[in-house]
Amino acid sequence: MNHRVTAAVVWCCVLLTLTAMTACSKKAVPGQAAYPSAVTPTGPGAGGRYTPGGPIDEATWQKLGLRTEEERQRFLKDMDEFQNDDIYFEFDSFVLMDEAKKILDDKVTFLRRYPAVKVTIEGHCDERGTNDYNLALGERRANAAWQYLVNSGIEPSRLNMISYGEERPIALGHDEASWAKNRRAHFVVEF
Amino acid sequence: MGQGTVDVVRRAGGVRGLWGLCVFFWGVALGMAGSTAGAAERVYIDITQPGFLKLPIAVPDFKMQGGEEPSLARQMAAVVRDDLDLSGYFKVLDPAGFLESPQQMGVLPSEIRFDSWKAVGAEFLVRAQYEARGGGLNAEFRLFDVVSQKMVVGKAYEARVVDARAVAHRIANEIIAALTGEPGIFDTRIAFVQAEGGSKEIYVMDVDGQNLAALTRDGSTALSPAWSPDGTQLAYVSYVEGQPKIYIANVLSGSRRSVAGYPGINITPAWHPSGGRLAVTLSKDGTPDIYLMDTQGSVLKTLVSGWAIEVSPSWSPDGSKIAYVSNESGNPHIYVLDVAGGNKRRLTFEGKYNTSPAWSPKGDWIAFSSMTGGRHNIYVIRPDGSGLRAVTHGEGDNESPTWSPDGRLLAFSSTREGASAIWAAVVNGEGIRRLTRLGGAQSQPSWSPRANR
Repeated sequence: MNHRVTAAVVWCCVLLTLTAMTACSKKAVPGQAAYPSAVTPTGPGAGGRYTPGGPIDEATWQKLGLRTEEERQRFLKDMDEFQNDDIYFEFDSFVLMDEAKKILDDKVTFLRRYPAVKVTIEGHCDERGTNDYNLALGERRANAAWQYLVNSGIEPSRLNMISYGEERPIALGHDEASWAKNRRAHFVVEF
Repeated sequence: MGQGTVDVVRRAGGVRGLWGLCVFFWGVALGMAGSTAGAAERVYIDITQPGFLKLPIAVPDFKMQGGEEPSLARQMAAVVRDDLDLSGYFKVLDPAGFLESPQQMGVLPSEIRFDSWKAVGAEFLVRAQYEARGGGLNAEFRLFDVVSQKMVVGKAYEARVVDARAVAHRIANEIIAALTGEPGIFDTRIAFVQAEGGSKEIYVMDVDGQNLAALTRDGSTALSPAWSPDGTQLAYVSYVEGQPKIYIANVLSGSRRSVAGYPGINITPAWHPSGGRLAVTLSKDGTPDIYLMDTQGSVLKTLVSGWAIEVSPSWSPDGSKIAYVSNESGNPHIYVLDVAGGNKRRLTFEGKYNTSPAWSPKGDWIAFSSMTGGRHNIYVIRPDGSGLRAVTHGEGDNESPTWSPDGRLLAFSSTREGASAIWAAVVNGEGIRRLTRLGGAQSQPSWSPRANR
């Protein structure tokens, strides 16, 4: 071995280290929890956006038209329910099932009660199928929910859509129970 | 038989690699008796015949001259062996069984003892030597037909020591060119998606899995890399600005720009074979449809639209047609669109879930991924719908096929050994091998065109 081989080895080590550093820095990025922040704020008024789990300041409460503590507590409870209730789909389908329509009716009630609230509808798929097709399928799922809400009288300007395809699974198993949880439309509140 | 240099073949160097690793070298054809032709007079391997037998070939370690960089003797030979094995044309013989010592035996035609190579079963022999001096590298190789005891091709290279692997790839390319009439693909690269730590980034590697480099480092989700026909740019999809948009990155400089950010999804870029335009999937008009777009993102034409999902375009090599996925029958299937006439026809009728079409560079096959019984496998079909056959056979999930530029190999993602990795196989399914051995999961490979040198 002479110094040139050594130099080559050192250079390889530098590359490996760089790769490793990339890998390490990626670990700092939260996986599942990251997606709400990935949505680009759209339209006017996006500045006072609520961070899920974060506090709501007085100005935002005023914007929402919620003055009493009782109103505000109820809103927080309603919002939790709104964001926690996903609608589910069958494999390779974006047809709304009866159960999904019931849940969407609840969404309509919430959106009518709180007219200052905007929503991003996320379309998701299970891991089966190809990433590309699932991006398109997720878009159709978000769109199916969007159409139902609009048909129920919700202003389209209050509704954003984004497809995550199979990129943001909520359940990480490789079985039907996990897949069923991942074939969903998820609703994120913005205000 | 001639032994000296004849015919100087200057090969312009090219900038290679994301870190600007340069490969400047040139080759010289080593003379052959009565001929200065670089390619063989006869085609040893008829690549139009699918059922040929693999040729037994011996690649002893390179002979070191001088005394610098002794490890290259083994390393360069290993790269050549590995490449020849990947090609699927050869049975690469195990050097442990060779009767001759690679550092003792000669390199010139007059010095080769063909009997001892015949004895180990070799029909072809690759004999090479090199000399490293002050960071420079001189290497030469000769390919011998052991049966007829003749030299088939020989070339000399002048390069840098750091480019030793690239020289070895070039040698493998020349061997394939001499025996098939068409150059090898061992200086090409594969882009793919690397999933790790909750994000997906675009990576690029040499075809043998070496020289790994990250093209994106966004901590977001990047998908669907697609090489430009000249190999200088990669189009891809990323969520880095929130919604899925299409970006184009310069592979050499790493600079990139957003080209399509229409409302909804902007996905599955596919370069037109002549460059300058891309077929993409956009949902700006409601449903995901396929559009023709220039590289500034202006929509030139609607290619396929309808109430259904239309996605994943792949161009025929002449640019007259695209294969794509539509679910207008209720399930995703492969369709073919005549771009000028606008008429489309369904290509796949087997199964209920056929996606990821990839038109071969010679136009003779369309590869795709088919899900049956919950498992994805790679299939190929003729563009007229005939000749359907499986490339993979149920070992894990096999998805996202991409063709080598010679149309002979397919790379794809497979979970056959656990986490998804990039694998390659000859189009008949033989010679399957794993290309990535990384942490995380690798998917959506895209094979580069031949290097532009």
